[in-house]
Amino acid sequence: MPRTFTLKFLRLVLVVLVVTFITFGLTKLQPGDPVSKIIPFGTAQQKAELRTDLGLDKPFIAQYGKWLGNFVQGDFGKYYDSKQSVNTVIKTSLPVSLELMLYAQFFALLIAIPLGVTTAYRAGSKYDRGANATMFALLALPNFVVALLLAIYVGAKWQLLPTQSNVIPFPLNPLDNWTYMLMPVVALTLGQIAVYMRLLRSDMIATLQEDFITTAKAKGIPTRRILWRHALRPSSLTLLTVAGLNVGALIGGAIVVENVFGVPGLGKRITEAILAKQYPALQSYVAIIAILYVTVNFAIDILYSVLDPRIRNARSVA
Amino acid sequence: MRDPLPDHGEELIHLMHDSEARSDVPADSVTQQFAAVSAGTVKAKRKGLPLGAWIAIGWMAILILAAILAPVLPIPDPINDANPLKAAQGPTLDHIFGLDGNGRDVFSRIIWGARNSLFIAFAAVITGFLIGGALGLISGYFKGRIGGVLGAITDILLAFPQLVLALAVVSFLGRTVFNVTMALAIVSIPILARITRASALSWSERDFVTAARAQGAGHIRTMLREILPNVLPAMLSIALLGIAVAIVAEASLSLVGAGVKPDVTTWGNVIFSGQAYIRDAPSMVLFPSMVIFFTVYALNYLGDVLRATFDVRESAL
Repeated sequence: MPRTFTLKFLRLVLVVLVVTFITFGLTKLQPGDPVSKIIPFGTAQQKAELRTDLGLDKPFIAQYGKWLGNFVQGDFGKYYDSKQSVNTVIKTSLPVSLELMLYAQFFALLIAIPLGVTTAYRAGSKYDRGANATMFALLALPNFVVALLLAIYVGAKWQLLPTQSNVIPFPLNPLDNWTYMLMPVVALTLGQIAVYMRLLRSDMIATLQEDFITTAKAKGIPTRRILWRHALRPSSLTLLTVAGLNVGALIGGAIVVENVFGVPGLGKRITEAILAKQYPALQSYVAIIAILYVTVNFAIDILYSVLDPRIRNARSVA
Repeated sequence: MRDPLPDHGEELIHLMHDSEARSDVPADSVTQQFAAVSAGTVKAKRKGLPLGAWIAIGWMAILILAAILAPVLPIPDPINDANPLKAAQGPTLDHIFGLDGNGRDVFSRIIWGARNSLFIAFAAVITGFLIGGALGLISGYFKGRIGGVLGAITDILLAFPQLVLALAVVSFLGRTVFNVTMALAIVSIPILARITRASALSWSERDFVTAARAQGAGHIRTMLREILPNVLPAMLSIALLGIAVAIVAEASLSLVGAGVKPDVTTWGNVIFSGQAYIRDAPSMVLFPSMVIFFTVYALNYLGDVLRATFDVRESAL
């Protein structure tokens, strides 16, 4: 266990290094001189000063090293013009995005798990086919479409909820927080329900054919207990992995949904940085997201081998 | 307990588990989503296609035909035929999908949008198919060091959340059709590589591959003539789903202001330009959204049918 842990951790560090290196390289690939983009009408001397200021006169590796050094020490850089620190922006916007994604993840699982279990049990029934067809349609419904539909009907037509979000931190006013979060969360949740439900269903169908289920039935254990205890437990591990991997899709969805509803989260800040050509800030945002994603999956990978004795043993034998 | 139906999502899950056990990395989110998409809506049938498949093929055929014929169709120009006096007009007999904020015909813009959006999605996935397929085939066939290195490259590409990677590529390199296509291709390469690798791994264990090698077939011949034909159905069904994903990704990029520049008509840009009018003229957003929904549904469904028809299950043997 400790050895695989170390190996996995080294791997994580390597991936993060490569990912940040690639993002850094991408900023250098952009056509045109970044200095001319920031101060197009600056004098030659001003441009030269800015170039030195940004460290653009140094070789690529040195620039990357400097950026990495700052990043590791928690200095995520500054915006060109306002000199606003990226750290401040992250401090206010990251919690909003995390809240949005946590709600979405939570509600998606809350709805998908019972649906997956019951449809697997009644596979082939009308209920199963109906639920399956609905979920198949949901999979084809991009989250921006759900978001726009909500904004048009619930927001603009019926005026039930505000279309433009002005998220109040939960501790300040829980009710306001939920009012603003409701539509973005629904838009983000719907597609996820379909993903989880369909995976759990097919996983459970396979589990229900296993011998230990027959044994449990033969022992006279009530169906409900078999389904929710015996069958769900192995499938829940698959679900856990998928939930972790799905964070990638969730991040992408959050960026889109935050933009439709104007939620002041990291996704919104990223697109603002893109439009304003704030590349150093953007670079830190992309790196932070990649690290977040890789770390979540690293944690789940570790958790997985702790929870599942089969994997734990297989690894130690190997 | 009832007998569960034959279920095609399972194979993909097993495929993924196979690759997991072998390469010691978890499958990526998109593979998982694909597995979810294909978790058995279409039952395996030996004869004929289900009615739904014909409807899906019909929809795609009409769409592709309209996209190709857009320049000769009797529809207004999507960019220049603007009538600002009638801006944001709802659907009428003359303009069945209404007019956008600049008074341009939304129906025409959707057809021209199909031209660009479908081109971007198809070109991206075909590129991903060729490069990712080659990488996957090679790394699945040569299991040793080459496979390890290629697998590691795939993993690094997968360590980026998809949309963020595309977003980064487009915003750093510029908002052109070519760059968006390349960004989506880069995103689809590791997905196709992963699926192809998983499938090629299990096929290359089979006896007929050993037999071919014993008869003196070279590595390239064995890969192309023995393994590829068997891996192809899985690759194709994933590619169909990949096109759907690429269409949504293009629109998502436009929606957050990081897609193709607004002067190129794509579905994403049509929706983006309508976003400001959702109060007064929601039709501007509703119609293109509906078209995207039907298209994604049709592609998902066809991917599912393809898997059922070719019975991809065999590859898990």
